[in-house]
Amino acid sequence: MATGPAIATGSPRSRSWRWTAITGVSLLALVTIHMVAHHFVVDEIGGLRTYQHVLDYISTPIIFVIEGGFLVVVTIHAMLGLRSVLFDFGLSERRRRLVERALVVLGVATVAYGFALIGILASRA
Amino acid sequence: MSERSPRQGRDAGVDEILEGRREPGPVARKLPGPVAWFDIRGRSTGHLAFSLNRITGLGLVFYLYLHLLVLSTLLRGEGSWNGFLEIATTPLFLGFDVLLVFGLLVHGLNGTRLALVGSGFVPNRQKALFWSFMIFGAIVLVYTAIHVFGSEG
Repeated sequence: MATGPAIATGSPRSRSWRWTAITGVSLLALVTIHMVAHHFVVDEIGGLRTYQHVLDYISTPIIFVIEGGFLVVVTIHAMLGLRSVLFDFGLSERRRRLVERALVVLGVATVAYGFALIGILASRA
Repeated sequence: MSERSPRQGRDAGVDEILEGRREPGPVARKLPGPVAWFDIRGRSTGHLAFSLNRITGLGLVFYLYLHLLVLSTLLRGEGSWNGFLEIATTPLFLGFDVLLVFGLLVHGLNGTRLALVGSGFVPNRQKALFWSFMIFGAIVLVYTAIHVFGSEG
C-alpha cells in the first residue's frame, strides 16, 4: 500500500483507537451470533421471527446476556466511530470536549433504552 | 514528532487526505474533511479502504437506531409486529437486508485488517489483506443473498 503503516492505521497508542479495535473484534463474534441466531436458523421469509418467537428468544437468560453485551459493545464502538468522524472536521479543543460529552450522553441513553426494550419484552414471555 | 507522523488523536487516513489536498493536480482537494472520503480519484487502496470504512460505519450507526426503532414496534403488541413483518418480507426490504450484510462485511473485514496491521501483525501486506478480505466478503455476500431471497419462495 502506498502509505506508511502509521498513516494507514492510525496511532496504535491512541486510547480511542485501542478501544475501537477491542470492541470491533468483540463485535465480529457478537454480530455473527446475532445474525445467525436471528436470520439463519429461522424458517420464515427473510429469517424473521414471529412475535412469540421473539419473546421466547429474548427471555432465554443466556440470549438476554449475549444481546445485552452486544448492545453495550456495539454502542461503544458506534460512539467511538462517530467521535472519529466528527473530529475529522478539525474541531477546536473546546468543541472536541463538547462532542465527547454529547456522545457519552447519547451512548448511555442508547444502552438504557435498549435494555429497557429487551427487559420489557423478556418480561412478556 | 516528525512531519509525516499522524497528529495525536487523529485517525487512520486523515493525514493521507490532508496530504493529498496539498498536492497540485486536476482533482479538487480543497473540500472539508469528510467530503474528501467520496473523492477516490487517483487515490491509493488505503484511501479507498478508509473511505469505505467511514461510509459503511455511518450507515451502520444509522441502522443501529433504525433497528431499535423497528424493535420498538414489538412493545405495541403482536398486531404491530405482524404489520412490520408484512413490509419487511417484501423483495425491496429483503434487498435492504442484503445491503446491511454488505455494510457489515465491508466494515467488519476492513476493520479486522486495520486491527491486524495496527497491532503490528502483517504490517507489509495491507493491500493483499484488503483484497483477500473483500473477495472473501463477496463470497459470503452472495451466499447471504441466495439464503435471504431463497427463503422467499
